[in-house]
Amino acid sequence: MIVTYNWLKEFVDFQCSPHELCDRLTMVGLEVDALEEIGGNLDSVIVARLESVERHPDADRLTVCQVNNGAEIVQVVCGATNHKTGDFVALAQPGSMLPGEFKIKKSKIRGQVSSGMLCSEKELALAEDSPGIMILPADLTLGQPVFVALGLKDFQIEIGLTPNRPDCLSVVGVAREVAALCGQKLKLPVSHICEIDDSIEQHAAVVIENSDGCPRYAARMIKDVTIGPSPDWMVRRLEAVGMRSINNVVDVTNYVMMELGHPLHAFDHRFLHDNKVVVKTAQPGEKFTTLDKQEHSLTTEDLMICDGQKPVAMAGVMGGLDSEVRDETTIIFLEAAYFNPMMIRRTSKRYGLHTESSHRFERGADIDMIPVALGRAANLIAELAGGDVLSGIIDSYSRQLDPVILEISATRTEKLLDIPVDCQSIKNLLESIGLQTQAGSCPDCLQVTVPSFRPDIEREVDLIEEVARLYGYGRIPVTMAMGTIDAKLPPLHQLLQKTIRQTIVAAGFSEAINYSFVAADSLAKIGLLTEDGRSTQVGILNPLSEDQAMMRTSLVPSLLETVSRNLNYRNSDLRLFELRPVFLTQAADEQCVEQLSLTAVMSGRREPEGWSQSTASVDFYDIKAVVEEILIKVNIHNVSFVSDTSQPYLHPGKSCRLMFGEQLLGCLGEIHPEVLTRFDIDQPVYLCELDVEKIIAAAGTHAQFNALSRFPDVIRDSALLLDESISADQVMDIVNSSKIRFVESATIFDLYTGKGVPAGKKSLAVRVRYRDLDKTLTEVEVNKSHDKLIRSFCQRLEAEIR
Amino acid sequence: MEDRLRLLQEDALTALHQAADLKALQDVRVKISGKKGSLTEVMKGMRDLSAEERPVVGHLVNNLKDQFENAFIVRQLELQQQDIAAKLASEKIDVTLPGRKTATGSLHPVTLVTDDVVDIFSRLGFAVAEGPEIEHDFYNFEALNIPKDHPARDMQDTFYISDDRVLRTHTSPVQIRTMLKHQPPIRVIAPGTVYRRDSDLTHSPMFHQVEGFLVDERVTFGDLKGILTHFLNEFFGAGHSVRFRPSFFPFTEPSAEVDIECVICGGKGCRVCGKTGWLEILGCGMIDPEVFKSVNYDAEKYSGFAFGMGLERLAMLKYGVNDLRLFFENDLRFLKQF
Repeated sequence: MIVTYNWLKEFVDFQCSPHELCDRLTMVGLEVDALEEIGGNLDSVIVARLESVERHPDADRLTVCQVNNGAEIVQVVCGATNHKTGDFVALAQPGSMLPGEFKIKKSKIRGQVSSGMLCSEKELALAEDSPGIMILPADLTLGQPVFVALGLKDFQIEIGLTPNRPDCLSVVGVAREVAALCGQKLKLPVSHICEIDDSIEQHAAVVIENSDGCPRYAARMIKDVTIGPSPDWMVRRLEAVGMRSINNVVDVTNYVMMELGHPLHAFDHRFLHDNKVVVKTAQPGEKFTTLDKQEHSLTTEDLMICDGQKPVAMAGVMGGLDSEVRDETTIIFLEAAYFNPMMIRRTSKRYGLHTESSHRFERGADIDMIPVALGRAANLIAELAGGDVLSGIIDSYSRQLDPVILEISATRTEKLLDIPVDCQSIKNLLESIGLQTQAGSCPDCLQVTVPSFRPDIEREVDLIEEVARLYGYGRIPVTMAMGTIDAKLPPLHQLLQKTIRQTIVAAGFSEAINYSFVAADSLAKIGLLTEDGRSTQVGILNPLSEDQAMMRTSLVPSLLETVSRNLNYRNSDLRLFELRPVFLTQAADEQCVEQLSLTAVMSGRREPEGWSQSTASVDFYDIKAVVEEILIKVNIHNVSFVSDTSQPYLHPGKSCRLMFGEQLLGCLGEIHPEVLTRFDIDQPVYLCELDVEKIIAAAGTHAQFNALSRFPDVIRDSALLLDESISADQVMDIVNSSKIRFVESATIFDLYTGKGVPAGKKSLAVRVRYRDLDKTLTEVEVNKSHDKLIRSFCQRLEAEIR
Repeated sequence: MEDRLRLLQEDALTALHQAADLKALQDVRVKISGKKGSLTEVMKGMRDLSAEERPVVGHLVNNLKDQFENAFIVRQLELQQQDIAAKLASEKIDVTLPGRKTATGSLHPVTLVTDDVVDIFSRLGFAVAEGPEIEHDFYNFEALNIPKDHPARDMQDTFYISDDRVLRTHTSPVQIRTMLKHQPPIRVIAPGTVYRRDSDLTHSPMFHQVEGFLVDERVTFGDLKGILTHFLNEFFGAGHSVRFRPSFFPFTEPSAEVDIECVICGGKGCRVCGKTGWLEILGCGMIDPEVFKSVNYDAEKYSGFAFGMGLERLAMLKYGVNDLRLFFENDLRFLKQF
């Protein structure tokens, strides 16, 4: 909503500057988004008088003028022809910035000094075009800024209104707040209407068939009008508040709407068949063309203004093309009504027609303003378009709305706001914005009658808010809430999420956040089959674009996009992860489960680039280490990594499932080269994908201590010659399951194939550490254990000792 | 004999002194007191001396031996120190070469700021709650006093999944879910992802919010001001003015918008604060009785406040990030700065 400083002054006397006013409006809940001086700051364009006008000695078309600026005589060269000695003119002094970023400088024109410029209306943005320079009335004060002298200096104040304040969708509404702020009275415009001796009843009738949709419909008529342009002041006012001038009658309806807040509509009476207006809902499929030349197919929920035959306006939204006021119109049927906010909102949404009118009706217009707005508009039309106002007003007010009467308790107000108030102070505050009060049902209470312009005030708490607002939020004390604090530890779910995040960050990964919505084909891009559960995605009915139409069921496509983008930025050593929900659905029922997934990708060098760093690239065992580290940190032991070929986006030979008993916790591996190609990635990428919900369910709460031995260990290294197909897990399983005494730990410390190892075989070196809690082991004891272990390897894995 | 010994002494001490390194020193020792060393020879010759001479010479020889051994130790220490000094001198490295790096990771700035906010409120006894991102119309709108066909719905452009399910437009539905499950007193903070159908330089269709609320007996607007002022002082550091001004949210009454004196220009007015000197940080208010009604709380007994703020905005102000889109591009050059 835009108002102007001067327009407000018509309705309330106040002294504060535009800046001060804006600050105070903001602090009372009408947030000022912008304050602009209309036409920019033109204070250095001043009133001056031409003391002499002579032809330029070296240019026929120029004149050299001696100009009295109120303080001194300066010389200005001018190219216009409509000026003469004695004229009052607008002098732009050097340093002025005219509209269009045009800066005035002192200069020499054909050898003659020119200290400024004599301006035309166009140059001051006061007219579209102007034949010569602006000649001002001769009674102005020399040296005064032209805009001040002409009363044109004004400020545009743009207010970002919250939807609960339809009362401030007008200059008068904002002025009411200003009056309350400044302790002044609001002065409403008064209309004395001269009616002619011809009753409106003779020419028109109104029938309301849908009183839910339209509780009140009123009209006036003006005849013998002449349609033409509006006067300058009207055009300027409308432009200042962001409206375009159409013609004198339409401009009046808009002017009154901006001034009083009530939308009006002017019909050309000729096009109202049978001289009547019927308010009813449309026939299904009925066609109607609005003023903007769009044809709409109506529904039975659309409230329409009809004549004897057909619709002539979409109630409260937009008029019809057929009945609009045009150049040859002479009789105006002027409508002011109150429409059901919800119906207007639905119709406006249905056809995408958001208008100044629908904006006001859907937020709640002021039903009592109807006759006032009609009178004001009829008067202005008669004044500007030269017609006669017919006597009387049609006012069909079938369902009187009862005024809202509330009670406010000073105690409750005090209790909620923590400010000292009594009935008297509440009364003063509420009456300052036009609410009426009287004694309430108890000494502590006040009865408040809510005026029709405040449809947002429906309950006591709404009144308490008004008290707080007018009292000033800044004056409410700052206290700390007392009361019970139930300070429990965060739930395990949150703590473990944090642990997982910290662990993966410690492993060198950076956290990414991608949009939760992806393109429908993103899963096809990673080769997921339609049978895969993840191929059933939840769609958005109204996505911003097709690329953001589906809720993701896997973080893999987004992360591969991220990898691809980073490679384009030449970030080629990357470790990225996302810990975000995926949105999974069962095909049959629509219920969607939001499940946290941890997906991480790594690619490029293992060590950061440096003068003595390895240049080796990461591989499967790097991503596996990350998974292992996370499992340790969340105290999950006894998992198995099972070779797997089921994920279409992973390399079938370099991928595996992570199993915890029968439960699948996730998968990891190298990204399938074909998938990489689809994402334009030209280096191997390794991925792990963990089901965080299952990890958290499987997690142990904390680590368990193992006693330390004070006695020395004995180490035995053995190189096992094994068939290539024997996995490391099989070797370790024997160590862990064969119950050999004194084994403290075992690690695989070398894997070798090549010279010295027969084809189809590999050499795996195992280091076993023996130790006892209670004594130093003897050579005999260790040998006995180790021999037994070696025998197991030989018997169960057909191992040979190298 | 005595002269011979004196000579021997001079020779031995000179030789020790002249030994250039530990090996030469060892050689000197062998030459003097080794099996065939000159001093050993002298001692061997003692048996040829007379009984009168023997103690006198023996005394001299012992003195000489002690002196030699002491001088040897001193010289040995000297040479060892020389050796170490030489070794260390030869091992000098360029300490300005960068350290050997390991890969370092980073948390997303939104996560960092979320943790900051949660930490501050945790210390005030707020517990963290979560809720689904695909939300029922009831929790996202209806229960928060935003009925269908109400202009307040225009404040939040919504992505629809179906007629009655939406991508939550704010974290406020967590308020409803929590209050339906728990009775007051209650202090909860709920960070989360939210969605609005809006995308341009300053709007992202997905972003993050944190919702907080407190319900108890006799909670006042003053408490709301107190807790939020405390939060802003903790987050931005003390010394920035804070102002509360009236606003509108369907689920709070009275409602307020909270501004902090611009942390970039200190209130003088700059590009970031739109020349106003103030930054809009959060929306809040006393929980509307309609909301209490929809969760079956006794509005006569309890009162409370709720607030919500955008986490990207906090991150932008804290870290000086000037472009919202960077948060979702996931450029490592950006992510690694936090």
